[in-house]
Amino acid sequence: MSSAALNKLIEAARLDADHVFSAPWEARAFAIALKLSEAGHFSWDEFRDRLIAEVGASDRIRARDGTSDHGEYYEHFLRALERLLEEKGIAPLGTGSQG
Amino acid sequence: MSGEHHNTDDTGPAARVKALEALLTEKGLVDPAAIDAIVDIYETRVGPRNGARVVAKAWTDPGYRKRLLANATSAVAELGYAGPEGNHLVAVENTDRVHNLVVCTLCSCYPWPVLGLPPVWYKSFAYRSRAVSDPRGVLKDFGLELAPDVEVRVWDSSAEIRYLVIPQRPKGTEGMSEDALAGIVTRDSMVGVAKVEAPHA
Repeated sequence: MSSAALNKLIEAARLDADHVFSAPWEARAFAIALKLSEAGHFSWDEFRDRLIAEVGASDRIRARDGTSDHGEYYEHFLRALERLLEEKGIAPLGTGSQG
Repeated sequence: MSGEHHNTDDTGPAARVKALEALLTEKGLVDPAAIDAIVDIYETRVGPRNGARVVAKAWTDPGYRKRLLANATSAVAELGYAGPEGNHLVAVENTDRVHNLVVCTLCSCYPWPVLGLPPVWYKSFAYRSRAVSDPRGVLKDFGLELAPDVEVRVWDSSAEIRYLVIPQRPKGTEGMSEDALAGIVTRDSMVGVAKVEAPHA
């Protein structure tokens, strides 16, 4: 089961070996996090702690339900960044969800 | 509240990142040009070609190999590779008897200066959840079957340490230059999910 999921991701990587980001927003989210960290607004370790929490929450659901992921890592990444920026008082949660 | 369709568009990750970048730019915390520059670095300049040069040098220069195994961070810096996620780099060497495999079970820790950013499978639950408990099964998914007497060592990247696998130099490459060797070293081989193949003559 998770072998099939891994096989699919391996195959996708072979077909598209040169792209580290699957969409432009992933690249920008990554660069924003790195830039803010380099500028001292938070340490990369602080960010990683939030990322591990987001990934871990998703892992527990997958382990419970027996489902596989399909490469949604940067969704966890973005949520971790949003939470950290809210905690730091830099940007309120929901910055991007105003109608 | 806006209608469902509109709402969905606005809360998608692309819209959220766009709004976040706009807010941070307005506050003077980020500069879109600086963001462009970082994206360019990680999309085009930092990547497994760096690690391939390191491995090719280790294959052809015994002194360098020794320095790489003793202190990988300073050895890769000799070639100009340094930066975030590269401060505690450890090189582990494959031999006839030992095969090394790298994972980050908690998230996505990876040696950026030599390999760039990790591929999707490296960050997946499917890989992270099985690499420690069933490394041979995972390797089989990558098409790599090891002899039963080869010991598989799995390295779980922690908050501090990043690992680079030095794959075995394939037979039949004795006459190749360092540059040519760098051309056959793959990202997958430096994570430990593949071997390096000699080029077909």
